[in-house]
Amino acid sequence: MKPSRQISLSTLTIIVGLLSMLLINTTAMAAKVTLNPESWGSEEGKACIDCHSKASAGLTHQWKNSAHAQANVNCLDCHQAYEDDVDAIEHEGSVIATIVSPKDCGRCHETELKQQQGSVHTQALSIIKNRMPALSEHFGSPTINDAGCAKCHGSKVLVRGDGTLDPATWPNSGIGRINPDGSVGSCSSCHGRHQFSKAQAREPSACIYCHSGPDSPDKEIYTTSKHGMMFDAHKSEMNMGSDQWIAGKDYSAAPTCVTCHMGAAGKMKSNHDVGMRDSWNLNAAVSEQQYLVIFEDGSKRELSTSDPLPRKGESINKLDGGMGKVKAVASPKRRRQAMTSVCLECHSKGFANNAMQQFDNVVELFNKKYGEPAQAIMQELYSEKVLTPLPFDEPVEITYWKLWHNSGTLARHGAAMTSPSMTWKGMNDVGSNFYGKFLGQVRDATGKERGDALIKKYVNDSEHHDWLNHPDKANPILGFGKGKDEETSVSESEDAGENAGDEKANED
Amino acid sequence: MQVKMLVTRKPMKINNLLPAFITRHVLFALIIGGVAGIGFILFLIEFDHFTSSEAFCTTCHSMELSAEPYRNSVHYKPASGVRASCGDCHVSEGVFAATWDHFIGGKDLIRQLFGENYDDPVVNALHHPESAFAAREWFKKNDSATCKRCHVKEAIFGKRPDTQQIHLEDAKDKSCIECHYNLVHRKVPHKKTFKREAWNRMIEEEFGLEKGTAKKILDDEE
Repeated sequence: MKPSRQISLSTLTIIVGLLSMLLINTTAMAAKVTLNPESWGSEEGKACIDCHSKASAGLTHQWKNSAHAQANVNCLDCHQAYEDDVDAIEHEGSVIATIVSPKDCGRCHETELKQQQGSVHTQALSIIKNRMPALSEHFGSPTINDAGCAKCHGSKVLVRGDGTLDPATWPNSGIGRINPDGSVGSCSSCHGRHQFSKAQAREPSACIYCHSGPDSPDKEIYTTSKHGMMFDAHKSEMNMGSDQWIAGKDYSAAPTCVTCHMGAAGKMKSNHDVGMRDSWNLNAAVSEQQYLVIFEDGSKRELSTSDPLPRKGESINKLDGGMGKVKAVASPKRRRQAMTSVCLECHSKGFANNAMQQFDNVVELFNKKYGEPAQAIMQELYSEKVLTPLPFDEPVEITYWKLWHNSGTLARHGAAMTSPSMTWKGMNDVGSNFYGKFLGQVRDATGKERGDALIKKYVNDSEHHDWLNHPDKANPILGFGKGKDEETSVSESEDAGENAGDEKANED
Repeated sequence: MQVKMLVTRKPMKINNLLPAFITRHVLFALIIGGVAGIGFILFLIEFDHFTSSEAFCTTCHSMELSAEPYRNSVHYKPASGVRASCGDCHVSEGVFAATWDHFIGGKDLIRQLFGENYDDPVVNALHHPESAFAAREWFKKNDSATCKRCHVKEAIFGKRPDTQQIHLEDAKDKSCIECHYNLVHRKVPHKKTFKREAWNRMIEEEFGLEKGTAKKILDDEE
């Protein structure tokens, strides 16, 4: 009796196990890899491991601990290349490529590739290709571009005639990298090779690698936000390595960057198009709400609400310069809804909407008070030829750049991710810059008279700067009225009070 | 009498020992031929030795262009001071094999004299891949014999602990040239993945030439 009972119990366990596996599979794991497992596990590739466990023990060890190794995906499955590939090299009898591009990863990870291609991340290089050299080469040299900017934004990888990769452009795992095979991006930007750990990519540190520092201060913001505080305290409860990682279901201790910007939450599916849920362009001189235009070929672009709204089926310019037929347009409102739906896993609708309102207010404030007037003044300076067209050769240009690009970004991102200290720091820096430096340098550049006229037009006449029109309004914050002056002012005010009292008495 | 006989019989004795057709003239010819033969072999040894030297090879200006990267390589200035000169790698061991290699190598001389202007760095660089492919073929055919003059697979310890293990296990059945084919001279991709257009472009950029110049130079040669 006993053995048969045991058997029936274990059979039951197996059945339950299988059922639960099926259930899990149908939810979040199934879509991951759609290729037949027979297409990987290359025989030729197995030979790599023996030598590489000696020649590069570290990376082989990482791979051995990866899901790839468990699934028998070996070196050659990812690194194999065709002889006529631009970056193909012969290596120990095999034809391989050093760079594993998103296109290579997409041989198995089709869904992720589709989402990633056309995302704002893949445009990290193309959208700033004019800006980047001006900054890096004027302030540094192409060297700083290669070792700094391009490490995050991506390089255009060049293959030289002798088969080597141009050392100025490789190594590089920048997220907007333009690969020799024409694909854009780098999966290893976030998914560190060769272990490709899920947990590692879900860590805020995966994003902080680039999203930190003066012009992308998201590390500083997240770590001083309530979300970051909760993450720090409850990291061990985050279930970071789980196959399925749905906010509110598999974890609830804190949201990481991934949670809000690309993670699964409730009915919202995870998505490798990272900017999809963003409704504003916060890294701009003046922020605007953004439509997301999705083209028939799967590529995407953003359009400001001030641009004409494209209709479905219409042909408009794509980012690569070609024309594309519009398949769908997501309005900023729809994008905001997507983001807010993540909040709702932990917050009430009212709470989330009000937080968004506070964020929007800060963006509007920045736009109206600083972004728009500073931009208008700069445009006048350029059109009046007070400034040369060359960027950064006049002090006011550097001041203006820092105003919106550094401090302005800190304030706006700070509000987006609810870090009170960074929101204030950002806006405080913007104000100090604007009143303390920018306006003075405008006067220096134009001469006092023209400068005063410009400032009157764009600053003093604006309700946001009306306080400038009341120079007599005293406040002791900077020490006005202290010391000797304090005595006189006190006695004056006492006198005034007495007089007023007298007058009153007289009236009576 | 006896003494007399001995004196008179002495030449008779040699005649008796040698076959009849070896006359005195033949004997002289043999001796002279033998000495000349030994002299010739000695000459070949010296000749092979001299023509294997860097000084000789670089008397052609075109070879100077190949020697330049070599002079920056570990084979030219190793820590140990053991320098491999041109012939140590590119000429086989043994006087006959060495002479044969020099004979075959004579075609380079003919091409230098009557072929393209290989002294021109651009022309030279454009043709460099073909020379590399030919040299690799040669090493492969010889099972990297000239490498093995100095290098013993079992004795490659390297700087990392695993270098020896890799050579003994993973590269056990491999010939040196199969892996180490970009060691001394200018790097050229493997024949399998070599792309002529990319190579041309690289040379054009290197010498500040207009795009398409390289192709024109090569087309004009034909």
